[in-house]
Formats: sequence, structure tokens, C-alpha cells
Amino acid sequence: MSARVWMVGLSAGEKHFIQGGIALDLRADGRKRLTYRPIYADGSARVKMGATEVIASVKLDLARPNPSQPGKGKVSLFVSCSATAGPMFEGRGSEELSSELSVALQRCLLGGKSGAGAAFDPSCLSIVDGKLCWDAYIDGLVVSADGNLLDALGAAIKAALTNTRVPVANVPAGASLDEDPDVDLSSQETRRIDTSGVPVVVTLTKVGRHYIVDATSEEESQMSSAVSVSINKEGRICGLTKRGGAGLDPSIIINMISVANHVGEPLMSKLDSEIAAAEADKQDI
Amino acid sequence: MEYVNPEGIREDGRRPLEMRHLHAEIGTVARADGSAVFEMGNTKVIAAVYGPREVQNRSQQLNDQALVRCEYSMPNFSTGDRMRKPKGDRRSTEISLVIRQTMEACILTHLMPRSQIDIFVQVLSADGGTRSACINAATLALADAGIPMRDLVTSCSAGYLNSTPLLDLSYFEDSAGGPDVTVGILPKLDKVTLLQMDARLPIDIFENVVQLATEGCKAVANYIHEVLLENTKQLEYRRGL
Repeated sequence: MSARVWMVGLSAGEKHFIQGGIALDLRADGRKRLTYRPIYADGSARVKMGATEVIASVKLDLARPNPSQPGKGKVSLFVSCSATAGPMFEGRGSEELSSELSVALQRCLLGGKSGAGAAFDPSCLSIVDGKLCWDAYIDGLVVSADGNLLDALGAAIKAALTNTRVPVANVPAGASLDEDPDVDLSSQETRRIDTSGVPVVVTLTKVGRHYIVDATSEEESQMSSAVSVSINKEGRICGLTKRGGAGLDPSIIINMISVANHVGEPLMSKLDSEIAAAEADKQDI
Repeated sequence: MEYVNPEGIREDGRRPLEMRHLHAEIGTVARADGSAVFEMGNTKVIAAVYGPREVQNRSQQLNDQALVRCEYSMPNFSTGDRMRKPKGDRRSTEISLVIRQTMEACILTHLMPRSQIDIFVQVLSADGGTRSACINAATLALADAGIPMRDLVTSCSAGYLNSTPLLDLSYFEDSAGGPDVTVGILPKLDKVTLLQMDARLPIDIFENVVQLATEGCKAVANYIHEVLLENTKQLEYRRGL
């Protein structure tokens, strides 16, 4: 939490300006409370929301599946903050924020221990049941931080997963699978991952008595609390995180969830269209 | 293993004395005082400069000049095999040191005593020549931050494979185990500020390869000049001049 506030030295007048503006539905950059900044999603997953810029990548490695889930590949997710986003992320300074972001995203995207509720079905990563699978490593990197990191990372990871091509591996019939088998990757065929179930993250930041969406870091410094809701295409909640010291009345949280749902739909469709456009561009090249 | 085929073409289609495609952008990290993205072929690096600002650690403060600090990091996904540790490993520490010493030599630190300048370099995609790309990106970021410097610092690498000097090695050529010479120069002052080499080279060939890398540095310097000039024009235009 302290990492977020470091850089924002606001005078009393500026704080008053931000809080007053939000109460009047007119934020410092002219947006309304529930308007997102322009989003640019770039192919293999670089997302810009205003001055916030994040990159996500998915890497696949051959591995043995977990004995308790022989038909699925393992998925791991890790976020780190680059020092370019600010001197507070130098050396080990980014550990706290990185862990917070990683855990929040793992909760929304990776599902429970049994694999239920995951964003996408990890059985598409399996090659030979019980013996060989693809391990997916999802890595997020925050390059420039101006608030709303969770939403941007969620969007980037969705884009990266959509962009991922899983190579089709052929294991020769009758090969012994007790040692490392010869896996034939020469066919150059790839499969896509079905990302229709991947949720987006909508963070609502409460400033004074109102909530805003897509807060800049100045606005975040004025927040009393924030609720991040992860919503999928069907409008179902896949994850929920509340941050900030101020307590919230339960009815307010219910209200925030429904607002998040309402805002999440156009965000999801905007993202899908940006991702599809970027994919089409890539294919043209 | 053939790195230069009989017709004189390298693995990625270049000629031995040809550099990879260069691309640079200034001002990409809005919150930083200065920032730049620099690409040499598939190697892409982002640099951000914060400063001059108050020294965070009083014990390190220098009374007659600015303190220059640098951190280099490579994210897990930037290379072919996923790396375990993005920073703090030996190679990153060494490269951070190299970049810091190189940039410190060209910044007019005596003009900013008791202050601190932070240079953060992040590799986004690594395909050989990351050290050089980092120095070039750092130069642009420092220029964007308006920090006074003696001269730009530009850097380029060169090697020697299949009895041919090669300019600007890619990762494939670098991992061949042949010599890899990295040179950093101050182009206007025509001085060498960084020179590193690994593996072995006979002395006369060494001179050739260093000369080749220096030519590469000068080409990078020309490109950086153009980029800075264009950026200044944009700034003037935006101010309505």
C-alpha cells in the first residue's frame, strides 16, 4: 500500500480539488466517474491505460503433469514491477506490490486447488495423459504505473492468452514414456486457447462518497477503499478483493459489485475488439 | 557450424558489416523525468531516468557531485528459456555497474552536487547486444530528462566468426562462443568510454573488430541525433513556436 502513495505529493488544495471533482462527477482529466481511459492493446499483450503501461507474456514448457491432475497442464502466474515505473521499485522494493498483484490475479484466473473455476481449461495443455503436458507460465510486468494496475494487468493477461499458440506435439506411438520421450514438434501446427471464459478485472475506487473506475495514482492516493471485481462474459464474479483501511457497509459492497458488472460489459467488449484488431494486424504482416 | 555462408550472408540475412534495424522512441514512461525505448533488431530495451533529485541514502551523498545509480533487469520472459531471477543475479549486477560507469563518465555530475540520478533499464526482449541497447536507451533517456552531458554515449557490439568480422551480433551469433567485443564511444569527442571483450582474438584482428564496432557506434550516434532533433521539433510544435 505504501508503495502506491510514495510519489504523490499533493497539496491540501489539490486534494480538495480531486475529491470535490469526483463528488461532482468531473475528474481532474475531464472524465466522468465511470469512464475508462483510452485502452490500447497491442497483439502479444502490451496494454496502455493512459500513462499506465503493462506487458504480459505466456511461455510454455514441456513438463510432467501433477499426479493429482494427470489430464491438465500446470499454470503459474507471476507479476513483477519494473524499476522504470519508479525508483520505489528498485531492488527489492517491488516485492510487496508484486506479491499483492500476483495473488489477486491468481485468485481470479487460476481457480481453486482442484482446478475448478479457472479462467481457461488447462486440459488443452495436456499432451499425454499423466506423462507429458505443457506448463504455462504467465508473466506480467508493470512498465509504467499511473494507477489501476490490476485492471491493466487483467486485460494484458487476457490478450496474451488469446495470442498464445500451443504447439501440437506428436509422441511416436509405442515410445517409452518413463524417461524423456522424443516429442515431435515438427508439425508446426498450433492450437489456440479458448479464452472466452477469461474474466476482466474492474477496480472501483471509493473517494469520499462516490466510486470511480480506472483511478490514476493521484486519485488512488485519495481513496478510502477499493474493491476489485473480476467478471466474466456471463456476468459472473470470478474473484473479489477489497483493499484499503476504511470499512465498508455490506450494502455498499453489493452496490459496487453491480456497478462493476455494469461497467465490465463495455470494457470486456472494447478489450475483445482491440485484441481481435491487433490479432488481425499481426496476421496481415 | 556456419555463421556466414559462402555467399557472405549471415543467419538472419544480413551482410557482415550490416547493423540491425534501429528504432527509438522518447518519453514512453510518462511519470519518469526522462525515458526512452531503444530497439536493435529484436532486442528491445526501455530506460527510465529519475533525477536529479534528493539523495535517498544520506550516507551515500557526495558533496561535490551527483550520485549516479543504475539498475539493469531482465524479466523472466525476455529470453528463450524462462529465467528464474529477474534481477540481483551476477550478470545483472555486472551490467548495472558497467552502464553506471559509462554514463557517469559523460554526465556533468559536478553541476548537480548532493543530488541523485537514477537510471533504470529494463530489457523487454533479448536477442543479443543487450548491453549496447541499454547504453543507447540510457543516453536517450538522459537527454529526454534534460540532464547535462559532455556528449552522447553510443554503443555497439562486434564479433569474429568464420574468419569474418561481424557487426552487431544477434543472440545466435553471440552464443557461438566466439569473441564478442562491446564498444562505447563519445562520438563528438571521439573517445572510447567502454571496451569489453570475451573469448580470444589475435591482436591485429582485434584492432579490426574494435574499429568495426566503433563505426557501428557512430552509425547509432547519427540515428540518435536524428531522433533527438525530431523530438525537439515536436516539442517546439506543441508549444506553438
